[in-house]
Amino acid sequence: MNPGIDLQGTFIQSLKDLGIPSGAAKAIWMPLPMFLMIIGATVGVLVVVWLERKISAAAQQRIGPEFAGPLGVLQPVADGLKLVFKEDIVPAKTDRLLFTLGPIIVVIPVFLSYLIVPFGQNLVIANISVGVFLWIALSSIAPIGLLMSGYSSNNKYSLLGGLRAAAQSISYEIPLALSVLAIAMMSNSLSTIDIVEQQSGYGIFSWNIWRQPVGFIIFWIAALAECERLPFDLPEAEEELVAGYQTEYSGMKFGLFYIGSYVNLVLSALLVAILYLGGWEFPIPIEMLGSWLGFNEASPMLQVIDASLGITMTLLKAYFLIFIAVLLRWTLPRVRIDQLLNLGWKFLLPVSLVNLLLTAALKLAFPGAFGG
Amino acid sequence: MKFLKQVGDYAKETVQAARYIGQGLSVTFDHMQRRPITVQYPYEKLIPSERFRGRIHFEFDKCISCEVCVRVCPINLPVVDWEFNKESKKKQLKHYSIDFGVCIFCGNCVEFCPTNCLSMTEDYELSTYDRHELNYDNVALGRLPYKVTQDPMVTPLRELAYLPKGVMEPHDLPPGSVRAGQRPEEILEQMEK
Repeated sequence: MNPGIDLQGTFIQSLKDLGIPSGAAKAIWMPLPMFLMIIGATVGVLVVVWLERKISAAAQQRIGPEFAGPLGVLQPVADGLKLVFKEDIVPAKTDRLLFTLGPIIVVIPVFLSYLIVPFGQNLVIANISVGVFLWIALSSIAPIGLLMSGYSSNNKYSLLGGLRAAAQSISYEIPLALSVLAIAMMSNSLSTIDIVEQQSGYGIFSWNIWRQPVGFIIFWIAALAECERLPFDLPEAEEELVAGYQTEYSGMKFGLFYIGSYVNLVLSALLVAILYLGGWEFPIPIEMLGSWLGFNEASPMLQVIDASLGITMTLLKAYFLIFIAVLLRWTLPRVRIDQLLNLGWKFLLPVSLVNLLLTAALKLAFPGAFGG
Repeated sequence: MKFLKQVGDYAKETVQAARYIGQGLSVTFDHMQRRPITVQYPYEKLIPSERFRGRIHFEFDKCISCEVCVRVCPINLPVVDWEFNKESKKKQLKHYSIDFGVCIFCGNCVEFCPTNCLSMTEDYELSTYDRHELNYDNVALGRLPYKVTQDPMVTPLRELAYLPKGVMEPHDLPPGSVRAGQRPEEILEQMEK
């Protein structure tokens, strides 16, 4: 039994105490985390869209959105509403089924990946032992959706855009997976919970970023390329391609692509925080802090504080990374497609392979420091 | 050995690229703490500078239909419609028009007009839904634009060249602040001495 709060257990137990049979109690519990996941991801997207616009404005000495709500916080909501009410155009002679299915296939895996994002010891929707692997598997579904929507648009440029998007996603999947593999090797587990646990020993000093600095950079670059963030937003490339594979999309189908890319950005930032920045861990180990201040470790008060601190820390780390991503957007020029593929195949892939081998060697040489 | 050198060069280039990215990031990060220089357009407007070349103003009664403006115009744009009046033995102007959808605001016509019936205004708000609406006749050309400084709906803002030394943005300037450098009348005063 894990220490800490067990929301699911308490919820089911309290329903059972009310006289509801245990099967029904479990069934009532089940939709709650799913809704929480979808709502959390959507709110995360709204916040990121607002932040993106505000930070972009600040970096360019503009004001940014300011009329919709205080400081323009309702602007993303207004944008979303506008997209909902726009006409949903399907071009002539398209493959209707694939055209509709494309954005859905792009979005659903991203939302599903939130299953494995832990915000605390027990604040994870599914603690599966192949967590990171599941995420990598899910994220490789998205290129199929991109290809599908590019192909079914009945438009040469969309087809080319779809092919470019798929090429980009596939070529950055490999360095991403390899750098995750190094982490998995160090923590002897693929479960996100175990990976964070293994970084918890000495506070900030035990975070994976110190042991895997190269892996961290590779992972972040690959994650940016994976969710088509600038400077790797070639599939969309507003000024050059007029939005690549999503040229023919309008209304909510376009909105789905948009939501998907932003959810993916949040997810990538969360995963970087979990894999490299110690997830929900406070820079100073919280148990140590608790024992200094003389708290009982099992006291419910400390548990609640611990849980909320965990959520805050994860979000803080993730949003710091998102901030860096937005800054990068206004710092770096967009790469060309050949530069992109060169960077992916000729630089990131060998470097991440060397990084993996080095990690293995270090793990054999210093089993204490590298999780033997 | 050659291979090692290649690897070394490549590594050096990579480190250099990383350093450049860091430099760039520090620049954008520095920009974050600067104040926005936004001019919130319909509510705030920049005061056009002294020699701003805006929409052309035309005074019908001063025109002698000499058609100099047509000759100096790069594309012969002004349309001068006149008729010879046999009684007064003078050209009588009937219509005059300039199409601002085609005009490049070079100001040659204003420069060469012998009777100064053409002049430049500060009007730059020429947007229409149909570009044929930009073909101004002598009535439309005779209208004077509303001055930005006199419009109660608009906060007039000074342009960069008219700001005091070191000030980059025109918001909340203290009253009576003078632009950098000398004003024309000051230069004149010095010359007279």
